[in-house]
Amino acid sequence: MNENENNFESLRRLLVLKRYETPPPGYFNYFSSQVLQRIRAGDSGTSANWMEELFAQAPWLGKWVQVFNVKPVFASTFAGALCLLLFLGIIYADRPDLAAQPVLQAATTTALLTTASLTAAPSLSQSADPMGIVSSTNPVLSLQPVASLFGQQNSLAQPVSLTISGN
Amino acid sequence: MPAPADEALLVRQARRGDLEAYDELVRRHQERIYATIYHMTANHEDANDLAQESFIKAFQALKSFKGGSSFYTWLYRIAVNKTINFLKQRKNRIHMSLNDLDFKAEHDPDLMALISDKTPRREASLAELQEKLNAALLKLSEPHRLVVVLHDVQGQSHEEIAKIMDCNIGTVRSRLFYARQQLQALLSDYLK
Repeated sequence: MNENENNFESLRRLLVLKRYETPPPGYFNYFSSQVLQRIRAGDSGTSANWMEELFAQAPWLGKWVQVFNVKPVFASTFAGALCLLLFLGIIYADRPDLAAQPVLQAATTTALLTTASLTAAPSLSQSADPMGIVSSTNPVLSLQPVASLFGQQNSLAQPVSLTISGN
Repeated sequence: MPAPADEALLVRQARRGDLEAYDELVRRHQERIYATIYHMTANHEDANDLAQESFIKAFQALKSFKGGSSFYTWLYRIAVNKTINFLKQRKNRIHMSLNDLDFKAEHDPDLMALISDKTPRREASLAELQEKLNAALLKLSEPHRLVVVLHDVQGQSHEEIAKIMDCNIGTVRSRLFYARQQLQALLSDYLK
């Protein structure tokens, strides 16, 4: 180790220069009073370190950033993926026909299905026998006789008279 | 270094909220704490903020100080951790704001020996040397820079540095050796 110390003797002499770097005159006269003033004011002493607080509240974010710090390849991959997404988004935004096509197809299919069901409904009602029993289970299309609201005789209801023949 | 018994009393008083006692503790350590942070950041404004915040944080954390190490070592750890966190966030945004050199530097025979044959304008040469030296230090990783600052600039022992950095003495020695090698390569034009 002594040999190493001798090897670095010039460097050590040069590093002595750092000891002559001094703050402005009188700087330390007010240093402690400034510290105490901030303590009395309830300063938390973390104004420059808001990220530490953020990471304390969300540790996963800290780990995420730490991974990026340790392995820049992750950071560049993540940034590349974000750029690709942005690029694709711009392409799709510039071509509304591409973006609207699947939506239009879906709308057309829905419209066709709706038309079919609407056209099917009258045919069922037409084929139903007014006096017969409707076989459909569709409650909308059922033709069950209902009582008239205005006291009129329901054509589907017939009075029944039962006669018991006795000897 | 202040007397431990005296310092322990001040720490006990400060822990009870005695700001006068803490004022005394700040005055005792302010220059060394500031200097360590300044040599790590090469920026006076940053060093001022970080040194103040370190003392504030230490005051707030005094209740958790068990006395397992000296107050001085404990305070250093707070300042060093705060500085290293700050430097990690500030990476790639390094801006030097160097303090002026004390006029005594012009009379240091070792420094004069280094620059005397470079240029007759000693003042200009010292300023240039100061800038080159700080730029070279900033190229070291934070742990390597810290070891050089604590040992070669502030004159702390390997044992004390190991306590501050919470590592073993072997690690301190190897970091110091590597850091000096790096610096020597970076400053070869200025070293005989």
